[in-house]
This record gives sequence, C-alpha cells and structure tokens, in this order.
Amino acid sequence: MGKIEQFNYDNGIVRNFAVATAIWGLVGMLVGVLIAFQIFTPGLNMGPELTFGRLRPLHTNAAIFAFVGNGIFMGVYYSLQRLLKTRMFSDMLSKIHFWGWQLIIVSAALTLPFGITSAKEYAELEWPIDIAIALVWIVFGLNMFGTILKRRENHLYVAIWFYIATWITVTVLHVVNNLEYPWSWIKSYPVFAGVQDALVQWWYGHNAVAFFLTTPYLGLMYYFMPKAANRPVYSYKLSIVHFWALIFIYIWAGPHHLLYTSLPDWAQSLGTVFSIMLIAPSWGGMLNGLLTLRGAWDRVRDDPILKMMVVAVAAYGMSTFEGPMLSIKSINAISHYTDWTIGHVHIGTLGWNGLLTFGILYWLIPRLYNTKLHSVKMANAHFWISTLGIVFYALPLYWAGWTQSLMWKQFTPEGFLQYGSFLETVTQIIPMYMIRAFGGTLYFSGVILMLINLWKTAKSGHLIANEAAEAPAREEYVAHAGEYWHKWIERKPIQMLIASAILILIGGMVEIIPMLTIGSNIPKIASVKPYTPLELQGRDIYIREGCLGCHSQMIRPFRSETERYGEYSKSGEFVYDHPFLWGSKRTGPDLQREGGKYPDSWHYYHMMDPESMSAGSIMPPYPWLARRDLDLTYTAAKIKTLQSLGVPYPKGYAEKANDDLIKQAQDIAASLKKDGIETENLATKEIVALIAYLQRLGTDIKPSTGAVPTSN
Amino acid sequence: MFKHIINSSGNVNWMAILALLTFMFIFVISIVLIFRKDKKYLDHMAHLPLDDDEDSYSSTTLKQ
Repeated sequence: MGKIEQFNYDNGIVRNFAVATAIWGLVGMLVGVLIAFQIFTPGLNMGPELTFGRLRPLHTNAAIFAFVGNGIFMGVYYSLQRLLKTRMFSDMLSKIHFWGWQLIIVSAALTLPFGITSAKEYAELEWPIDIAIALVWIVFGLNMFGTILKRRENHLYVAIWFYIATWITVTVLHVVNNLEYPWSWIKSYPVFAGVQDALVQWWYGHNAVAFFLTTPYLGLMYYFMPKAANRPVYSYKLSIVHFWALIFIYIWAGPHHLLYTSLPDWAQSLGTVFSIMLIAPSWGGMLNGLLTLRGAWDRVRDDPILKMMVVAVAAYGMSTFEGPMLSIKSINAISHYTDWTIGHVHIGTLGWNGLLTFGILYWLIPRLYNTKLHSVKMANAHFWISTLGIVFYALPLYWAGWTQSLMWKQFTPEGFLQYGSFLETVTQIIPMYMIRAFGGTLYFSGVILMLINLWKTAKSGHLIANEAAEAPAREEYVAHAGEYWHKWIERKPIQMLIASAILILIGGMVEIIPMLTIGSNIPKIASVKPYTPLELQGRDIYIREGCLGCHSQMIRPFRSETERYGEYSKSGEFVYDHPFLWGSKRTGPDLQREGGKYPDSWHYYHMMDPESMSAGSIMPPYPWLARRDLDLTYTAAKIKTLQSLGVPYPKGYAEKANDDLIKQAQDIAASLKKDGIETENLATKEIVALIAYLQRLGTDIKPSTGAVPTSN
Repeated sequence: MFKHIINSSGNVNWMAILALLTFMFIFVISIVLIFRKDKKYLDHMAHLPLDDDEDSYSSTTLKQ
C-alpha cells in the first residue's frame, strides 16, 4: 500500500451545482405549468415573448439542460472525487464550468422568448450559444479527465464509465446536429436540409434523452443508490453488461421518431429493431437498481430518499418499456403526433430524472452542511405530492392521446372521416389538458416544499466547502500474466473513452452517412423549387413564433391522413428546407398541404383572431404580425447562405431578392384589400410574408398550381 | 407475434443484420470477460462507492 496522503474534497462546487439544480428546476417547471395552462387558455398568451410557441422550447431546454444538466454536474462532481479519492483536477476549471453553464442558461432565457431559435427540438439555441456550449463542455471534459488521471484509486467504478460515455457522445451529437451556416451574428441555417436534417436532428434528439437524461443519471444511480441504501450494487457484473449493451444500442434508436415519415424505410427499420433491443439492457439496469435494495426494503417505508429513488427507478423501467413499444410501427401509427408522447416523456423526466434528483438533493445537502435534514415529514409529503403529480400529469395525456388518435382515424360507414373538423378532436380532449395542468401544478408545489426544506436544512448547518479526506497514494500498476483486456480498458480512462467513442460512432455512421451520400435515398422531384424571398421570410417568422410546436408538416401515408390533409409527404419535397419543419406534435392540424386551401384573407383573420375563423380554437392570436414591419435587411444574406448550402437560386439573385419580395408582398396586400382588409401599409407587414409561406406549403407537387408558386 | 413485429418493421437489410451481429459480438465478449473475473475484484469494485465514509445510512441524516 502506498503512503497515506491528506487532501480535501471540493464541496463548494457541488453545493453551487446543487443550488443551480434546485433553482433552475423551479424556473423550468414554472414555465411548464404556465404553458400547460396556455394550451387550453389562449388568453394566457401574453404578448409575443410569452406565447406557447416560444415558451415551449424554453421549458424543454430549462428542464433538460438547466435542471437535469446541473443535476448531472452536481452528482458527477460529488461522486467523481470520492470514487477516485482525489480533489477535482482544477478549481479554476470547476468555476469556469459552473459559471459558463449558468451563463448559457441565462442566454437561452434571453433568446428563446424573443424567437431566436434554430427550430431543432432540444437544440433550439443559436450558433453563438452552441459554440459557448461546446467550449464549456470541453472545460468539463478536461476537468473530469484531469481528475481521473490524478486519481488515487486504480480502478474506475462503473458510474465513471457512464460519465465518460456521456461526455464523448454528447460532444459528437452536439457538434454534428449544430452544423450551421450563420447569416447574421445571431441567426443561421443548418447545413443539412429536409430528410437529412430530420435524421440528424432525431439522431441527436433521441440521444439527448439517451446520453443526457439517461446515461449520466444511471451513473448517479449506481453511485447514490448504494450510498442511500448503504449496500453495494446488486450485481457489478450486470452493471458492466448494462453499460456496454446500452451505449451501443441507444445510439441507433433515433429514427423511431420518424416512423411513417418520408425517411427511407431501411432507416426506420433500424430505429425499430434497435429500440426493441433496448428493453434488455434498460431493464437489466432497472432491476440492478431495485435489487440493490435487497434486505433494505423495510427502510423504504420511512426513508423518503429511498422512496424517491425506488419510484425514480420504477419510472425508468416504465418509460424504457413504453419507449420500445412506441417504436413498433403499428403502435407508433396511433401515438405519433398525439399527447401520448408527451405523457411518455414526462414519466421519464418527472419520474426518473426528477425524483432521482430530489432523492440525491435530500441526501446531499445535509452532508454538505454537516447537519440533519430539517424535516423528514416535509420530504415525505414531497414524495407523495410529486408521485401523485406524475399520475395526474401522465394519465390524462395517455387518455387524450388515444382519444385524439382514434378520432383522427375514425371513418363513417360511408367512408368519410367521422370527425372531419380537426377542431372537434381538440375540444374533446380539453378536460384532459386541464387535469394535466393540475398534475403539473401539484408536482411544482412539491418542488417549492423541497426548496423550503433544503433551505432550512442548509441554515441549520455550515457548509464544509473543503472536506478533509485521506487515502493511500496510487500504486504503479504492474500488469500480470493472463490479464484480460477488459481489465486493461477499465483501468485506463483514455482507452475507455476511445472504446465508447467507437461503439457510439458505429451506429451514428451506419445510419447517417448513407443518408448524406447516397442520392437515391431522396428521390428528386423536378417541380420542387426554392422558396421565394418573401416565402423565406415568412418561413423564418413561422420558425420564430414556434409554430412547429403545435403543427406538423408531414403527412403520413394513411388513408385517414390523406383524406384529411391531402397527398402524403414525399422526401423530395423538402430538399430546400433548411431547417426541416416536420414537427412532432399536432395540437393543431398538419400544415404541409395548407397552401391554396383558404384565401389570403382567411389566414389574415385567423392569425389576428383564430376564433373568428374557427370557433372554439385554442390557438393564440398573433396581432403583432400585422403591426410589425418585415425586416428586409437580411434577405440578401439569407439567399447567399442558402446558395452556399446548395439551394439553386440564380447567380446574383441575392441582390435582386428584395425587389421580387416587394412585388409579391404587394400582390398579397392587394388580394387582402380586395377582401376588405384596409390596414395601412399592409404590404410591408410581417403577416404578408407569413401568408406567402403558408400559401406556398405543399403546392409544389400539386399539378394544378404549376411549378412556380404564386401567392394567389 | 414476433414475426408480425419483424414484418411490419419492413425489410431489415444487411446493415441491421451487421449491426445485430456487432452487438452480439460485443455483448458476448463483455459477458465472457466479466464472468471470468474473480470475486475479490468484483467485491472491491462494488464497494467503491461505500468505502469513503462510515455513515452511509441515509437515515442518519434524517431526524427521526
């Protein structure tokens, strides 16, 4: 044994991340509660910055990257130091990491409500913030690997394997999905278009769930559950198999978000097959977590921390069973675009991430402050409130999802859609939305209770910013004959990093590279042309307002959909879509064939007051679109950017684009005037651009309208 | 039932088969290697989270 060395654990940084977790959790969930009410109360959409479309990405980003993100760092900084018996590599890097991450969160809160978004789900932040995320993530990586390299414990516990795999995979995902070409200091278009963009996005989107919400939290489970139960993990062998199987399979599953879309069939099949395979490692991990409590189940009765952890792991089991089921095409045909998906996701986030985080916070804060928890009673109350909150949140959404899907697909004996008006299928589920909002509020109130409890706990003790520890110095490891290479990998973090990287790259490359390189995957359609400058501006307004949060642009090849919306979507229709805007939820109807369905004036009135055109609509009004002048400053820059991404605008078109734009705007304004809309300078307003875009949607392949779209 | 699932998920092409084989390879290798480890090593690994402090009972942080 080496010489015993004295050192300190850095608890200050753990405390900072814990505080950030709790506060951002509160903020993210508050926004969640607000949008849960907004969805059935259009009047709660208070002005442009506070509409559902703009707040929804703020909620998802806050929940994933602010709440869970800080939760990951809190758990990693605590467990890494103790598992490796050393202080973090650099206090300075820890600080840069902490403040950098908080600054990124603040910049998200300052851009998303203003409509500065790249439209990619869970990757909405624009390019300057993407670069900041990459830099801070690298700082985290340096700090983590530095710590691993200066460790006193030879072996890397399985939790650290999960941290390493998380770090490398998130790096790859973030970089590839955010390849974008800026057209201003804050805005950009993604490099990929249409189907390719969709595949890359959902390869990322699914793995944001896998490698941000799951693998790092599994690492935390493997550390904090044994701690809380005071017994080692049920089977270390199982944890190793869990690790390798999970990271290898997870990366392939992304295309299950795109079943029955225009994505080539082979990619959809891969998504399905790997998603079903995922049950095995996921449930292996879940059982390993639950069985860790063997012989300690009596304590689960009175210990709120263990209760929370048990329900968290059970929620992990439920959502990892449900996920593969939803990836079977015939089930996905029912669930996709409905609230079922939202219910599914929240079992994962509220149950798995939320309750595990709360359990860890209740365990950690008393230790950091060298005191006892202020009130076990309050923590128990929190457990019940949040568990009930999840039930009240998820069940109505399952109900709503099934109801809506069945209504969408119901035909009369004569062969017509029974619920031909989409609105009927929305008003039917509004009571479910109300119960969901109640469930969310319940869960949120539990968090307030926790904050009070933790605040009082902290006040009753003193922060031990530097906790004294001692451990023998690390011995030089002498390899002995017959040593297996697994042991060799497991002792060497860099080998571990490389092995994980290879595993996750196999899946990513096999799926994505053929899509990017083989032309036959996306059959061209000759009549599909680039957007006119006015339509392009309208499309950017559509993105800014977050319309895709509630409207899809992807008609699946089902009779119930082609009857309702028109011809099903073809991959060749999206080749100039930077970014793709297929959406993933239909709170409102699909818009892919919206063009030419209604007169321009219908859209005008509908945007000013949706209820004037569809009584009972829950869509918020957008009156500012008729007040705001369309910004023409960047038209040329946008066209040039798209040209360099391969969109075939004629040479030198960028300079003339605004002339065409004004002409088309005047045509639309004239048509609006003809229908009695007399607003002053209508041709210069944003609403005209949005109408141009909506009227263009899906018309390229309609033989009657011809190849070149016009506004009327 | 499984036949139905496979059929309805379309043509599982060579890539899926290759991926499945790669996965089986990794799965089998990791199982073989981990089951050849000695018990002492596994115990040491499993106890790593617990050997840094004596009072790991979460209940000790709770006022009863």
